[in-house]
Amino acid sequence: MDLTLDHRKLEEAHETRRYFAKFERIISHLQGVAEAVVSENTALASEIPILRGYLEALAGTFTALSYKYLLAGRVSDKLPNLLSIDRQDSGFPIYQELLEMANDAMQAEIHLRSLPSMRDLKLAMVDHILREQTAPVNLQFAASERQYYEQLTTASLFWARNDPRAAWTGNVSEKRRKYRVHWAVYDSQQNIPLIYVMDLEDSGKEALLKDERRWPRVQSHLTAQSSSALKLVTIARGFDRDFADLHPKRLRRFYLGPMYSHTFTQQSGPLRDVLSQAGQKPGDDWALAWTTETLIASGTEQESSGFFSTVERQVYALDPFAAPGDEPQDTAGHSNRQRSLILPQRPYQILEELDPPGFSHIRKYAVSPMGKILSYK
Amino acid sequence: MADFNAQIEKSKQEVAAARQKIDELTSKIETAHTKMNAGQDISIDIENATLDDVHAHTELMGANIAELIMGLDDVTATFSKEFDAMRSKTGWETFIGFFSKNRSDSIRQERMRGASIDDKLQDLISKSNTIGYLLQEQLNTLNEHSKRVESNLGDTLAQREQSVATLEEIKKQLVAMDPEIIALENKISVETDAAARTKLESELAAMNAKYNQLAQDEQVKLAESQTLERYIEKGKTWVDSLQNQAATQMVLINKLQTDTKQRVVLYDALVKSLKTAQQQDVAHKINEIGVATDKEAQSAMAAIGSATNQRMADMMEAHEDHMVFARKVLEEKAKSDERFARRFQQIVEKHDKNAYGA
Repeated sequence: MDLTLDHRKLEEAHETRRYFAKFERIISHLQGVAEAVVSENTALASEIPILRGYLEALAGTFTALSYKYLLAGRVSDKLPNLLSIDRQDSGFPIYQELLEMANDAMQAEIHLRSLPSMRDLKLAMVDHILREQTAPVNLQFAASERQYYEQLTTASLFWARNDPRAAWTGNVSEKRRKYRVHWAVYDSQQNIPLIYVMDLEDSGKEALLKDERRWPRVQSHLTAQSSSALKLVTIARGFDRDFADLHPKRLRRFYLGPMYSHTFTQQSGPLRDVLSQAGQKPGDDWALAWTTETLIASGTEQESSGFFSTVERQVYALDPFAAPGDEPQDTAGHSNRQRSLILPQRPYQILEELDPPGFSHIRKYAVSPMGKILSYK
Repeated sequence: MADFNAQIEKSKQEVAAARQKIDELTSKIETAHTKMNAGQDISIDIENATLDDVHAHTELMGANIAELIMGLDDVTATFSKEFDAMRSKTGWETFIGFFSKNRSDSIRQERMRGASIDDKLQDLISKSNTIGYLLQEQLNTLNEHSKRVESNLGDTLAQREQSVATLEEIKKQLVAMDPEIIALENKISVETDAAARTKLESELAAMNAKYNQLAQDEQVKLAESQTLERYIEKGKTWVDSLQNQAATQMVLINKLQTDTKQRVVLYDALVKSLKTAQQQDVAHKINEIGVATDKEAQSAMAAIGSATNQRMADMMEAHEDHMVFARKVLEEKAKSDERFARRFQQIVEKHDKNAYGA
């Protein structure tokens, strides 16, 4: 069985470049969209800075990867190192690329020490061009490597796992503090970035962030549990059980993807027609889905623990209208889900004309070539 | 994984040694090339450039690297241990299980929730990359050498063509001289005048000298062409061998890359599915107890809510208890909405007709 069947290698240098140019554009739009989406169900105003931070990191990661693969296809004609993307329901680079990037980052210092400086490389390139009168491919490759490792050491990057960070947001009462914890992972199953935001109340003796016994455990628990296959209620329930004095009140998950593109990915259903009709002009044939799932605690109950003490457990409101299924585990694990689609004006127009069923509940953000964003129901 | 690291070090040394051997041989061939260009005799150099040594070493190195790739299986064996641990209970959990099954289950679930193999995947990728770099470097060396030797061979081939052409030219001249000499000899045999005969004989001597000169040239050129041919043979074998080695190398790299990619996807999928299956239904069951109290709130909310949707109610049709309840709520809400609309209509009508107090 081939498990990498839906992976696709970008074979040509120009293909890789076009792919990264597209992503750079999409991410710049995303930041605009992040400003425009402020609402209860999509993103709160106070969550926007968090989202922005992760989006910038994501942009940094894409820039780094684009440097890495800029000339990789041209230096060695046999078995070049190529970028693999997931062409089904993702459009993003595969998880392994991010793990490899983390490996590279660990050795960035060594590489930067051994590579000549940019100025030397450029001088050598001019030298090569004037003397040999050919393209200095190997020097260009060295320069791209240098850029890559510099990006790895200086820019903020979206890793395969971005460990939880927390901020104190206020006190409920003297013995109960409120925190907002956020973290992000690159989901290894779907190959898309996921951002989590959790509001929790802490009734422990010591403040959570100063408590070296709980906080590292909280961090490793949350990262180990953040997989897209787990429903929000599962994650929140498990967390609530494992930490008796931490009470997750609201858990939110942002899916930044999948990215659909007629050139790069494989899609089925109505979106395929929309994108294929819009695909005459390069740069216009994409759409990015953005989903927000929210889980809200609707109340608490006391549960006995041991013989004398009780612990507080949260009860979560689940969305009764979402995801029909016969099995209890098929039902929705969230209180609310808002789906949005970001796409350029041209495919948006085609989408409106075709008016395929199933798209009416999705909020659409049409992006103009100038970067102006309009939102339609 | 000290064992693995030691093996990597060993393979690195082997690769370095193999590269040195390859360098030596290519430089021998190149020295021969320069010597030949300078017009020196190169037969000995050619004899010295033997491939056996290189081949023996390359084989050794190949076996070593293949072993290294197999060794990755040992790294991955730790994964299956992890999976087994996730599937079964630890000794402590079994022990607790004698007293309380629930407690034992809950400890195990907690262990599952905290389990992560990300660092192991990272380790696998980094190890596989280390081997990959090793192989890739060797492959680059092989390619570079085969290019160098090939370009040398190109020169030599041109040279040999030239020398063969010269040889042909000489042969042609020799063949052309034969009838001339015979004609001259015939002339001498019939010539009676002594002065003319002497002149003819000296002509014949000159021609013979030229013939001999040409024959000697032919010998030299023949030898040169043969040397070149041997050089080319040697070079060709070397290029062939380099290309063979490169092909082996590519097969190794390909296997390594494919294996690693598949493994990463497979292990990750396994862990995620184990976690999901273990937790998802449990979380729902637990939440359902709490949901009972929630239903109250839901019905209250529905009374306040906005317009109803018949399609939603249809969707609810075949659902579980919770869902049926939600549907009932919806239906009640629909009824109340309808009632409200009716009442509202009456108000509108009253308003329109200005029927207040009428």
